[in-house]
Amino acid sequence: MLGATATAAAAVTGCSRVAARAGDIQLAAKAGRARLLSDSTVSTAVFGYGGQVPGRELRLRQGDRLRVSVKNELQEETTVHWHGIRLPNAMDGVPHLTQKPIKPGETFLYDFVAPDAGTYWYHPHHNSSQQVGRGLYGPLIVEEAEPIKVDRDITWLLGDWRLLEDGQISDDFGNMHDSMHAGRVGNTITINGRAPQPLAVRTGERVRLRLINAANARIFGLKFAGHSPKIVALDGQPVTPHEPSGSVLVGPAMRVDLIIDMVGDPSLKFAVEDTFYKGLEYTLTTLEYGPNPLRQALLTTPIALPPNRIAEPHLRAATRHEITFSGGMGGGMGMMGGGMMGGGMGMMGGMSWAINGVSATSHTHEPMLTFARGKTVVLNLNNDTAWWHPIHLHGHSFRVISRNGKPTAHREWQDTVLMPPRETAEIAFVADNPGDWMFHCHVLEHQAAGMMANLRVA
Amino acid sequence: MRKIIKSAMFGLGLALTAPAVAAGGAKPVAVLYKNPQCDCCETYAKYLRVHGYEVKVQATHDLPLIKKKHGIPTALEGCHTTLVGGYVVEGHVPVKSLNKLLAQRPKITGISLPGMPTGSPGMMGPKTKPFKVFAFNKAGRSAVYSVE
Repeated sequence: MLGATATAAAAVTGCSRVAARAGDIQLAAKAGRARLLSDSTVSTAVFGYGGQVPGRELRLRQGDRLRVSVKNELQEETTVHWHGIRLPNAMDGVPHLTQKPIKPGETFLYDFVAPDAGTYWYHPHHNSSQQVGRGLYGPLIVEEAEPIKVDRDITWLLGDWRLLEDGQISDDFGNMHDSMHAGRVGNTITINGRAPQPLAVRTGERVRLRLINAANARIFGLKFAGHSPKIVALDGQPVTPHEPSGSVLVGPAMRVDLIIDMVGDPSLKFAVEDTFYKGLEYTLTTLEYGPNPLRQALLTTPIALPPNRIAEPHLRAATRHEITFSGGMGGGMGMMGGGMMGGGMGMMGGMSWAINGVSATSHTHEPMLTFARGKTVVLNLNNDTAWWHPIHLHGHSFRVISRNGKPTAHREWQDTVLMPPRETAEIAFVADNPGDWMFHCHVLEHQAAGMMANLRVA
Repeated sequence: MRKIIKSAMFGLGLALTAPAVAAGGAKPVAVLYKNPQCDCCETYAKYLRVHGYEVKVQATHDLPLIKKKHGIPTALEGCHTTLVGGYVVEGHVPVKSLNKLLAQRPKITGISLPGMPTGSPGMMGPKTKPFKVFAFNKAGRSAVYSVE
């Protein structure tokens, strides 16, 4: 089975990285150097799996077992979280909650079956602002048993770095400004660990583009000039194919699978722009058409992905909970939460973020909520802050059933819901995976400043 | 105090016709660095304009680097950072202190109103206590500069 699929995977993977196959894999978290800038004379000291950024792309078939032996060759503790995979709690990679942190020199074996096809990624859950911010992450692709027909299957792992003028990573992790504003948004973007290069395409080609946002805090809002990408999966889970309203929004930790038909004429160039931050729009990369069309008429084969088998929430029987996020700098309304509105020196030191009024300082606190196993839960999320938050639940995918009181058009399955300031969203899921699961903001600086909780399924 | 209020009102009146020039004549151009998603900084920029300053607003993701580069002590950090007349002005500093700074030109790096106190220029809500504006120098030392 593994051998048979390896050839097919190599044929559809349009990237230079060698796709690793499921099975026994060794992964070392260690320091290394990476060429992140277009200036090839500059290399940056990074952390990486195998010392490289990103870590190797792990590819397996839906239902395959993945065994990854992670060796910690850093000078500090670490863990690996398999973001979005509905796996047994003990494999979730949360230090102190699901496992002891992996000490320097130690090895930990992650061993689980990937139940859902889709686009996922792996990263540390320990000191994660710094470890992810220095480059510890990699793509994890679970292929459908019967994939849709595309000409190329391309992964774009989007990285965001705060570099100094000498090309090295700024060591100002954990500073108060980042913590209380939008998080550590960097100044240098990479695609698959490199300065973005033009993507060579051919007229008539159909590409599946898997976007993974590995940034600590940056939100991407991508526009593909001259093209009409269709969203076919969000956070790994299939969704009714649809065009985005506006840009393709990818919050931290989120994944978006696009189908893009290359409708441009030969030899033309089209910009891919990131327009999310007003006043700081930029061209991420370009689509560059070669002189020879691949085909004259576009493919008409279906692009809808087969659904994964996830328990359907029973809303009428659901247990409902209110969840309010608070804290951070206020948008013209003073600091939110904690009453820290003074004007004296050092007053910012007491600021934080909170979930239902509780600002968590470690991974080990008591569960905020306990759900009966197998029951449907609806969480009404209320972002009572002036900032965007990608809210991630471990161990489950949930349906986003409404936003601001209005039903969502696609009732999309997600594991990370991006919440604009002052907005609400309802998420629903069957609490069918037993254990203590993290529920947190994936702006890693917000998480570190208290925006996390532990939800128990028992 | 009365003089300042008068000048502020004059500035408000002038804003409709001649925003760049206030009662005291031409003022230096201020460059205000802000987080692209922060509203209060825009409101502060408008406040400075009303009081006769020409303000260039520059959105940036590099604010922590900018604050470090300009020697703002951590404890004195505010939201946005403004460079004006050779000084660093951190946060929602009231224009009275700013005008005093530019008139007296002391040998300091800049001044700051730390945090985001409610009721300060650009911030909503009531003023709950006097604003303490701090002066700081390159060595990272600070002292109270004014109380408003």
